[in-house]
Amino acid sequence: MSAALIVLAALGGWEALVRAGLVDELILPAPTQVAEALWTDRDLLAPDLAVTTWEVVLGLAAAIAAGAALGIAMHVSPAAARALRPLVIGSQAVPVPVIAPLVVLVLGFGLAPKVLLVALVCFFPVAINLYDGLRDADADARKLLRSLDASRWQTLRMLELPSALPAAFTGVKVAAAVAVIGAVFAEWSGSDSGLGHALLTANGQLATARAFAATLLLFLLAVALYGAFALLERRVVDWTPRTAPGGP
Amino acid sequence: MRRLLPLLLIAALAGCGEKPEPTGSGSGRTEPFTVMLDYFPNADHAGIYAAQASGEYEKAGLEVKIQPPPDAAAPLKLLQAGRVDLAISYEPELLLARDKGAELVSVGALVQQPLTSLMSLGDKAITRPEQLAGKRVGTSGLSYQSAYLRTILDQAGVDPGSVKETNVGFKLTQAMLSGQVDATLGAFWNYEGVDLERRGRKPRILRMEDLGVPTYDELVFVAREEDLDVEGGSRLRRFLQATARGHQQLTERPDAAVDALLKADPGLDRGLQQAAVRATLRAFFPKDDEQPWGFQDPAAWAAYERWMRESDLLTQPPADRPPLTNEFLPGEGVDPGTSGLE
Repeated sequence: MSAALIVLAALGGWEALVRAGLVDELILPAPTQVAEALWTDRDLLAPDLAVTTWEVVLGLAAAIAAGAALGIAMHVSPAAARALRPLVIGSQAVPVPVIAPLVVLVLGFGLAPKVLLVALVCFFPVAINLYDGLRDADADARKLLRSLDASRWQTLRMLELPSALPAAFTGVKVAAAVAVIGAVFAEWSGSDSGLGHALLTANGQLATARAFAATLLLFLLAVALYGAFALLERRVVDWTPRTAPGGP
Repeated sequence: MRRLLPLLLIAALAGCGEKPEPTGSGSGRTEPFTVMLDYFPNADHAGIYAAQASGEYEKAGLEVKIQPPPDAAAPLKLLQAGRVDLAISYEPELLLARDKGAELVSVGALVQQPLTSLMSLGDKAITRPEQLAGKRVGTSGLSYQSAYLRTILDQAGVDPGSVKETNVGFKLTQAMLSGQVDATLGAFWNYEGVDLERRGRKPRILRMEDLGVPTYDELVFVAREEDLDVEGGSRLRRFLQATARGHQQLTERPDAAVDALLKADPGLDRGLQQAAVRATLRAFFPKDDEQPWGFQDPAAWAAYERWMRESDLLTQPPADRPPLTNEFLPGEGVDPGTSGLE
């Protein structure tokens, strides 16, 4: 309730600021102007939303698959972990505009480069959280399994993977939140549709209200994806009550 | 490959026979041909979209794909890498690329004048370059924009140290509207200028060629030098002739061309594109009516290249290979067999 009030107050202040002429509406449109653009441009923005959503969903799926494989590989093989960790971390420092032309050169302008760039931005939180989660399995349970002569695979399957699930979900949720920005960057590197493309076109002709409307859709997309994974987490990890922050 | 060779030869020869009126029709087969734009589709490309919408490219035997670039620097790189057949770029960008060894050549001018301009807004707008003293000027951070500014200040007798240049990326208008900069150098008079005018923001526009910068062709069609052979030359010729017809249609029915443009990107503002097309119309054609559409003036190119060299933008000695050719323009160049007869 109080959150809604804060949002309303912020929107009201924003509206007043623009209406009073303190900010140029071509730089910052009022919330009502954004809402208006969202409505009048709905036929324009809806297909773009669909395109970007599809890129994000495919990219996230690829990131989760690749991130999970990488996290497990690094956990199972310390040599792999030593070799890959700097690369995995370093990959996050590479600015998308630097690699985008390369990706375009190899993959062209279709869906593939977008999915790859989204996956590139998203695999890191998945891999690192899963890797940490696998390591942090309960030490006593580990001892117990060893005393029962469990194989490496059995330990992984029966103990480590299930106990890493909450951490893995954290990674996936972070990935879901940043996936959208990955898709926008990918579209900025050559596209003819999608919300990122709509942003470029709108900014290029001072259609600022539409640019904000597209941004609002990106915002909602990120929130929806995060929410979907949070929901899924509650279903999948219902057997382990999440420990309260700050210890059990 | 060896088995293909006779076929290729036949195709090349067939191409030769058609050259005087190279429509390519009759064969019923169209060759794919990818053109990379300099920027997202806009009024500057209206003639190209008009040609495509009215089927001119198909009639010329080309299946043209019009591709917006990943970023402003990409078209020439992707052209060199062979990912596209033709790129729209800027005369200075081409000369810079050639200075770095790129074997690229301009085969036609899309826009015959500089579009880059010195722009400012409001009561304190810059009406004379002398007023730039002590001001902050936004550019997109391109080396030649800085050089334009230096030349302008030099001509106006303004101490360059008193002017602060700020790289605002491609948010030139936004930087002006928010008051971050007093003026910008880099916005196009036919696009940003028209947009601001339509929004009642009264932009003050000073053009490069009026401020002492040598004139140049803002937008040019760039091809690989290796593609100037018989087969590639035939494609270029057919593309440019069809594009010339597209620009002819543009003068007759400018709004139909804007329809085609909006089909390519529905996000474009129809009113702005129509106004921008009208503003640009004259710049799509050479000043000299005797010259064909797409004509590039070698003397103007030489003067501009000299200026780039004096401005330390070019570091290598001039190449033997000319940076432009008018050979593939409508009515220009003759096929080898009839050379000298015209």
